Amino acid sequence: MRRQLRSRRAPAFPYGYRYRLDDQDEVNQNYLADEEEEAEEEARVMVVHDLEEEEEEEEKEEEEEEEEEGQGQPTSNALWQKLQIVNEHLWDPEKRMSLARTGQSWSLILVIYFFFYASLAAVITLCMYTLFLTISPYMPTFTERVKPPGVMIRPFAHSLNFNFNVSEPDTWQHYVISLNGFLQGYNDSLQEEMNVDCPPGQYFIQDGNEDEDKKACQFKRSFLKNCSGLEDPTFGYSTGQPCILLKMNRIVGFRPELGDPVKVSCKVQRGDENDIRSINYYPESASFDLRYYPYYGKLTHVNYTSPLVAMHFTDVVKNQAVPVQCQLKGKGIINDVINDRFVGHSQMDT
Amino acid sequence: ARRGTGTEDVGKTDTGDGKEKYRGLKDKRLELKKNHQKEELKKEVDLEDHKLSIKELERKYGTNIVTGLSSTQAAELLARNGPNALTPPKETPEIVKFPQADGAILCWIAYGIQYFNDKSSSLDSVYLGCVLALVVILTGIFAYYQEAKSTNIMASFSKMIPQQALVIRDSEKKTVPAEQLVVGDIVEIKGGDKIPADIRLLSTQGCKVDNSSLTGNLTPSLRTHDNPLEAENPWNKMSTSPVGTATGMVINTGDRTIIGQIASLASGVGHEKTPIAIEIEHFVHIVAGVAVSIGILFFIIAVSMKYYVLDSIIFLIGIIVANVPEGLLATVTVTLSLTAKRMAKKNCLVKNLEAVETLGSTSIICSDKTGTLTQNRMTVAHLWFDNQIFVADTSEDHSIFDQSSGTWASLSKIITLCNRAEFRPGQESVPIMKKVVVGDASETALLKFSEVILGDVMEIRKRNRKVAEIPFNSTNKFQLSIHETDDPSDKRFLMVMKGAPERVLEKCSTIMVNGQEQPLDDSTAEAFHTAYMELGGLGERVLGFCHLYLPADKFPETYSFDVDTVNFPTSNLCFVGLLSMIDPPRSTVPDAVTKCRSAGIKVIMVTGDHPITAKAIAKSVGIISANSETVEDIAKRLNIPVEQVSKRDAKAAVVTGMELKDMSPEQLDELLTDYSEIVFARTSPQQKLIIVEGCQRQDAVVAVTGDGVNDSPALKKADIGIAMGIAGSDAAKNAADMVLLDDNFASIVTGVEEGRLIFDNLKKTIAYTLTKNIAELCPFLIYIIAGLPLPIGTITILFIDLGTDIIPSIALAYEKAESDIMNRKPRHKKKDRLVNAPLAIYSYLHIGLMQALGAFVVYFTVYAQEGFRPSALINLRVEWEKDSVNDLEDSYGQEWTQYQRKYLEWTGYTAFFVGIMIQQIADLIIRKTRRNSIFQQGLFRNKVIWVGIASQIIIALILSYGLGSVSALNFTMLRPQYWFVAVPHAILIWVYDEVRKLFIRLYPGSWWDKNMYY
Repeated sequence: MRRQLRSRRAPAFPYGYRYRLDDQDEVNQNYLADEEEEAEEEARVMVVHDLEEEEEEEEKEEEEEEEEEGQGQPTSNALWQKLQIVNEHLWDPEKRMSLARTGQSWSLILVIYFFFYASLAAVITLCMYTLFLTISPYMPTFTERVKPPGVMIRPFAHSLNFNFNVSEPDTWQHYVISLNGFLQGYNDSLQEEMNVDCPPGQYFIQDGNEDEDKKACQFKRSFLKNCSGLEDPTFGYSTGQPCILLKMNRIVGFRPELGDPVKVSCKVQRGDENDIRSINYYPESASFDLRYYPYYGKLTHVNYTSPLVAMHFTDVVKNQAVPVQCQLKGKGIINDVINDRFVGHSQMDT
Repeated sequence: ARRGTGTEDVGKTDTGDGKEKYRGLKDKRLELKKNHQKEELKKEVDLEDHKLSIKELERKYGTNIVTGLSSTQAAELLARNGPNALTPPKETPEIVKFPQADGAILCWIAYGIQYFNDKSSSLDSVYLGCVLALVVILTGIFAYYQEAKSTNIMASFSKMIPQQALVIRDSEKKTVPAEQLVVGDIVEIKGGDKIPADIRLLSTQGCKVDNSSLTGNLTPSLRTHDNPLEAENPWNKMSTSPVGTATGMVINTGDRTIIGQIASLASGVGHEKTPIAIEIEHFVHIVAGVAVSIGILFFIIAVSMKYYVLDSIIFLIGIIVANVPEGLLATVTVTLSLTAKRMAKKNCLVKNLEAVETLGSTSIICSDKTGTLTQNRMTVAHLWFDNQIFVADTSEDHSIFDQSSGTWASLSKIITLCNRAEFRPGQESVPIMKKVVVGDASETALLKFSEVILGDVMEIRKRNRKVAEIPFNSTNKFQLSIHETDDPSDKRFLMVMKGAPERVLEKCSTIMVNGQEQPLDDSTAEAFHTAYMELGGLGERVLGFCHLYLPADKFPETYSFDVDTVNFPTSNLCFVGLLSMIDPPRSTVPDAVTKCRSAGIKVIMVTGDHPITAKAIAKSVGIISANSETVEDIAKRLNIPVEQVSKRDAKAAVVTGMELKDMSPEQLDELLTDYSEIVFARTSPQQKLIIVEGCQRQDAVVAVTGDGVNDSPALKKADIGIAMGIAGSDAAKNAADMVLLDDNFASIVTGVEEGRLIFDNLKKTIAYTLTKNIAELCPFLIYIIAGLPLPIGTITILFIDLGTDIIPSIALAYEKAESDIMNRKPRHKKKDRLVNAPLAIYSYLHIGLMQALGAFVVYFTVYAQEGFRPSALINLRVEWEKDSVNDLEDSYGQEWTQYQRKYLEWTGYTAFFVGIMIQQIADLIIRKTRRNSIFQQGLFRNKVIWVGIASQIIIALILSYGLGSVSALNFTMLRPQYWFVAVPHAILIWVYDEVRKLFIRLYPGSWWDKNMYY
């Protein structure tokens, strides 16, 4: 009987757009102005109600029923009842439905979404593929963001302040370890084995195909003299004359001005100029030799060794913060970019 | 009480459910209290004073009708009872509406956490908090401004003129402000005055009162009645007395007057939330649900990925912020006010912005009769003379009935002469129908009627000088005057009389047919009764006219008539004819009612008028359609008792207030569902309220139209109250949400159309706005899970939400309807939601995801071309964000400093922003329609869309190239080619949506239609 009643309210005809809306608001029908139409529907359904138990229809009705139950009692505020409704909405054992959908409906949705997302994945794969086609693996398309080159100091200790006590090795031991580790790649034996010794004072240009492996110039640890850690394994920290290495960031294709290599100069940033009485630079030219440029990129220039300049603070006022600023000087180097401490200068307190 | 605005709703997003529940509880308690109060108020107005004699009154109120109160007594009473003024309704202090700046507070908390975590942390969250707070405050101010603007228009309507009253105190006549009247005061009223308080009439000289604003009836009932509203001698505050003078005793002042009781009834009725407010709240719940669940999910993920808990909390906040459509509130407000403006042009003034949409969801209109459906002016409708009924249509060619008959000549003379109404002087240039008349409604109708047909009435009256007159009173029920004739050779006096037809007939012994007097026999009396019944059955007010030429020998020219002793005959007159009047329906109403019908809106008439009149008007405007019958009609047709008629056969019902009084709410519900065409007659303001509540119990959105004070409680209770701008009383206008400036019921249809359109367009706007939320959210999720450098910053997100997207989403409000929206049924309040599952799913999981992918492609392109291939980006986050790392290696072995990376990150933001922007253009275009193809809708029909697109592009260009150097905004100058990377994706979105729509059109009712049509 209930079924019959229900079917009267939800007529079993494939309606067009307008009628579809009608089905949605059953309650609405009760006060429809257009009563004639309702009567007509009623009459039609009366005649056919025996035949109409088509499966699809049933499913629709059930869905509607569920919806009614889910939304039909918002007035009752009892929490328990609400929970029960929610629970029933999540899983209705009677109709074997979860979230107002039958298993069939769910699987249809899953299949459709699977195909939809699969094709989206295909689209993005295609996009990325085209992207890689346009990008050379040897040479970045644009390098202007990474220029001018920045500098970085070693030892790297999460902070730019160097603060240690000569008599307590614990305070400087980690600098030494860091430097040692960093300079492993610069060991003379390794450099001689891997890299070529190229003439100083000029670019080391290697023409030929992009994908050809490029040779790299030697930068031996011994170039750093007193700061190489070869003679003094503590890099001067044990004597209060610390070594700090300065490395210019690699940039593919970057060439300093010919005949005017990039120079490093350090001075006291603020305060008494005499706080630092002497700095030794190794190599003595205090510059990055032109033979280390240009850089051809990680893929072909595998053994490229970044040139270094070591600063040996041989006579620094002790027990006092000394802000030091080291600047790179050379054409094409901008060292007054306000926002970036690391483009062109570096400072430290000893 | 003000309605909750969207302002509060969006703000609520971040506060949990707990508060909500608490609020709910409180509301309920309040409601209980309110209900109790309301029940009390709903009790019928109870006044006994009109039944007391003058002596009893004097005793009761301690006054003397000759000397009045003493000044001291008056002052004492004034102090005790308060001034004679209505307490103004309480206004919610506006500041309450200013929303909680939850988002902003969260951001500052986040900064606080960050600050404790790391003293040098960036001020980004603080900026963000400030921006959010600013946004919230600005939108609040904006919404307030919009509402204040429409409230101001309303204020200009009610010009408060201080009222004076002539009162007898200390045996002297004094003029005092009406506010200072007290109970027991004796007041004098002359024609044209507003009655200052409820008074009990003591004496009157030809004074009538127009109670129409109180009862809704045009003609005051003349019978003594138990209901004080209809009884004769107490008059009510606010009524106007058009003619004569009277004295009366004040029996009620201020809020205790009947009008005051209605007013307090109106203010006691709380405003329901508007449907659109409910929808927006529902939408906010969805967004909040999505935001909070994704937020919590990723909080758990982040924690299990061993992020710091503090970081995870910040992620949580970020996700929630990314999910809140900040610009939507402003957009909705602007959209609504644009429509309000459009409606104002069509003479619908919207007081409450949200009401714009309410009209669109309306499923029942409860319409007042007088002044809304009818013109609120009596007009002569029919004449009966020479045994024939003639139609009098004064609005058109007036020579449609035979004017050659001698009877008409006599009748017209009576109509002209037996009338006290006069045109107010100085209106020569005004068309007759619009002239102001001093006189009551029926006399006005007669005056205008005769002026139209006969020409200058005043001149005719001058020529037929009046020598004596008995004015109308309720015991006689007739009006009589004696005139000299304009024929100089005829020295007889002409006595003319009009009045209740049966009374007039009693006094007649002859009847005029074709200009000849004939004895009044049974057959002519029968004809008279048939005509009388017929005209009465049309709901018309019928008057009988008769005359008598007084014989010159008995009444010579010098005869002095004395109306007190009646020294002249008042019987054996000659009956001339009948005339019936009706307050005619407005010409536009029937068409409007039909349109409402086809739009699935049920129109119910609720009036204080007689059932017969109400039914007649209902029939003539189509509220009761031509072929439907009431139970009574069927009974009459089949000649069976009413009880035997099957109720199912009747589609229409006429229910009187008396019947309604005895009905239980269940019976009322049954009545409302069983009949499609209902007329409620003789209803009191309280019953109007009950009817509206009954309709609302059916889950209907109820619109109430009305003009009188008596309508104001119902106007307020309704989901949308519509008041008449010209005829409407201030009380009605104040209670209403919308005012029809031209009093035209047809404007409601326009309003419905606009309301439905705005609902559809809001759907589009929300779909448009929701889409990019995913594109804004995904970067954050990827950032957490895959550790990419952040693809888009929160400030950039705000620039999309509040910058590029605002104008386009408003532009969608200008979209035309896709199909005939007036042919579909009103949406169901609980089932046709603004934001339904398909809308959310399609926006989030289809278009939103596609958009996110497209934007990611732009982002990856920028990074890859700068040196970071996508593979290198994965899990780069920690190193990338470390301030101390200044040599971060990219895919080419290049080393990046922290600042260089930051700048690249901002370029990434800009790229992602541009990617979203470009795809939002496609999104905007696809959102123009929900079902039709864009090409069916016309790509260029809505020009504003293109303004929106242009604005989007221009704002993006300005942000990138104009403000690219301002680092706080995180924009950089983007290479021109990156602007085009997302274009193929935009086209893909368009194509995908066209396919979706195509399938919806091809397979209506299919699975696809059900799941993909929003």
